[in-house]
Amino acid sequence: MGWIEKNLRKIFDAPRKHFESGGRLEKLGPLFEAIEDVFFFPAEATKNRPLVRDSLDLKRFMSSVLVALIPPLLFGIYNTGYHSRLASEMSTAFMPSFTTGLGIVLPIILVSYAVGLFWELLFAAIRKHPISEGFLVTGLLFPLTLPPTIPLWQVAAGITFGVVIGKEVFGGTGRNLFNPALTARAFVFFAYPAQLSGNAVWVAAKEKAAGAVDAVTGPTPLAVTELQAPFNNIQEMLTDQGYTFATLFWGQYPGTIGGTSAFCALLGAGLLILLGIASYRTILAAVAGLLATGFLLNLAASPNTLPWFSVNPFYHLVAGGFAFGAAYMATDPVTAPGTDRAKWIYGFLIGVLTVLIRVVNPAFPEGVMLAILFMNMFAPLLEYTEIRLRVKKRIPHA
Amino acid sequence: MKSSMKRASAQISCGLKIAGRPEHFVDSAPEPETVASAPERIPLLKARLLKSKGDRVRIGTPLYEDKQNTDIVFAAPGAGEIQDIVYGPRRVIREIVIRLDKEQTTEDFTPYPADKLGRLNAGALKEILLKGGVWPLIRDLVYRKVADPGQSPAAIWIAATNQDPFHPPPDTWLQSPEDKRFFQTGIKALEILCSNVFVCCAKDASLGDEQIESRVTHRVSGGYPFDDPAVVHYHAKTRPEDNHAWFAGGQDVRLLGEFLETGRFPVRRTVAVSGKSVHGRYRHTRIGAPLGILADPGESSGCRWIAGGLFRGYSSGPDFHLGLYETAVGIITESAKREMLGFMRPGWNKPTCSRTFLSVFNPRPLPVDADMHGSGRACVNCGNCTRACPVNILPQFTYKCIRAGEIEEALSHGMLDCVECGLCSYVCPSKIELCQTFQETKQAYFRQRI
Repeated sequence: MGWIEKNLRKIFDAPRKHFESGGRLEKLGPLFEAIEDVFFFPAEATKNRPLVRDSLDLKRFMSSVLVALIPPLLFGIYNTGYHSRLASEMSTAFMPSFTTGLGIVLPIILVSYAVGLFWELLFAAIRKHPISEGFLVTGLLFPLTLPPTIPLWQVAAGITFGVVIGKEVFGGTGRNLFNPALTARAFVFFAYPAQLSGNAVWVAAKEKAAGAVDAVTGPTPLAVTELQAPFNNIQEMLTDQGYTFATLFWGQYPGTIGGTSAFCALLGAGLLILLGIASYRTILAAVAGLLATGFLLNLAASPNTLPWFSVNPFYHLVAGGFAFGAAYMATDPVTAPGTDRAKWIYGFLIGVLTVLIRVVNPAFPEGVMLAILFMNMFAPLLEYTEIRLRVKKRIPHA
Repeated sequence: MKSSMKRASAQISCGLKIAGRPEHFVDSAPEPETVASAPERIPLLKARLLKSKGDRVRIGTPLYEDKQNTDIVFAAPGAGEIQDIVYGPRRVIREIVIRLDKEQTTEDFTPYPADKLGRLNAGALKEILLKGGVWPLIRDLVYRKVADPGQSPAAIWIAATNQDPFHPPPDTWLQSPEDKRFFQTGIKALEILCSNVFVCCAKDASLGDEQIESRVTHRVSGGYPFDDPAVVHYHAKTRPEDNHAWFAGGQDVRLLGEFLETGRFPVRRTVAVSGKSVHGRYRHTRIGAPLGILADPGESSGCRWIAGGLFRGYSSGPDFHLGLYETAVGIITESAKREMLGFMRPGWNKPTCSRTFLSVFNPRPLPVDADMHGSGRACVNCGNCTRACPVNILPQFTYKCIRAGEIEEALSHGMLDCVECGLCSYVCPSKIELCQTFQETKQAYFRQRI
């Protein structure tokens, strides 16, 4: 360890002078600093009271989210590979599936990180800011919400939109109104609908075997009702298409790279709550909102309403990207309200809106992305209202 | 005002487990060669010197006064010759250093023992305390500056304990019957100034005497900063008129009593010495003693000397002297070295209020150092500061109000309730100087009002 540390130290010390102010590569200073800080944690003496500080910093904070993203990432890679091989009628054993998946998913993630980092760096250099670690989360969250067949240039376009329009134009990390990863997702969703929606985009297979075509182009669970489900029969229809509750929960079906498995999202959410990084309030409220609205719509279901009115509300929990969105996107502290009671309302309304978009609006089979973005917009208002109420309770200094 | 309370409520307690608590052992520090008075450390004070370099002073001789209120004078904590007047940036008077004579002479004032005290009214008592130079021991609760003798407070709080790591517990400075008598006289004097005198004390602290224990009105649990008089006051007040209050540290009340009983300016201090490579203990010394005689860590390089507790104290050094209010000296490691992959380590030994390190499972107290543990970032609205705040402020929003120039809004958020405990800055993962900002803004607001 000591030997590695000494030599790593040398690697950073030698070119340092070029990156300092006045050096040839001064503009790349934030990048140099960011990379060095990853390898060597910064040591800076305290100047102001209190002269002792907590060990938690933003790097640790954000990397906790990365750790929580490991389950959906690994499962997503395997799942992508599995369905790719299934469609090509190849062996679907674990290791080959995983490597195939890696071959499909890794380029998407790399493009997302590389292009995103470019923009981060550009803005950091111009603004003379350090690079914020929040980018590490955005750069990974975004690919996990994409279909595996997405062209890489669209990944680049999406992350560009997310970082620049979703975040930097507002002033950078901490000032953005909308979750950058979801903004990126929304951009590609509306700009390139052919590659982001429909039934054909969820399986990335190089050569699709003739007999497997149906399996490849089958509808996603939330789009299954395009097949004109009879009233009160949607669960049966889902099962017919291979989407049992268990399948949906474990997530082994074609879909977005990281968003199919409710189980993995549950693991991640559990970890984030245990570490105190994500608010349990937002997550529980979102689940409550989703179930409550689902039950209410059940009551309104009739042969004249859309088929999803009648689904068992628990299916909403496991279908589509809700679990992933509630665990990782809704809990983004920057775009969620910062006060406790506002978080309950914020989460609850995300759940409500998700179901409403899914069930009542036939144009969008999935609703969680739009629900979260919509509530992002209302987060400051919720926050403001709670602050006003809290301020009213204080004993004023006359 | 709630006149008694079992505990102050708090959303969370940070549960700070900091290593280095002094051993319960009291001794006397060696006699210092110099003592000093440090006007820089008295909040919002603009000092005007009354003596100059080379002048000879006795214990209790006025050294300097408050420019805004010349009735408030600050007395020399030692007899001898003024050896040096140390200035800081912008000519702020940092220290007035007195080289002590062998023979300590004192200014003599009329003594007022407890039985004679009852005959005094508030105005007469104020004058006596002001003349004697002990008035500065009574402080304003909001700005933590010297109390304005022209005002009458809604309450006076006596902080028997101070849990800012690490301060001497009451039984170290309330040892002899004389100490206890002085303390009682001090309380009695404050009762003349204000009918609401409250004594707050940490739940498990012993005052060593049933008679004194019976004076405690507010027993609070929760650790630092919940026994701070400003925190207790915040939870006890019920109407806007209660806002204006004074406080005095427990030792300072004992000093007030000693002054009244003896007619001499009291100089005794009991100081907690703690930290790395020093023998942590409680030491009797005097006001304004140099830090160097209190602790000897062997080597001084790589050490941060903190005068006062770890949260409220300020950076100092072995050659500097204790401020008027400071009763603790802490020595911690200056700054961590750049640790390889530091943010990925499990952190079994890293002190934190969060749950992101394995140290949450570590039952032992953990060593702290004077390192930021990260670099400055934008606020991500994580809300850690809100959870840490003992007086229900929303620090991240109040901070943003201040940065946006919305002082009225910040005031409505309760900025003046801020007790400057420092926990918000401590827990902030973005390392934002919240507490510093609040303190500076409060002080700027005060200056603008006068």
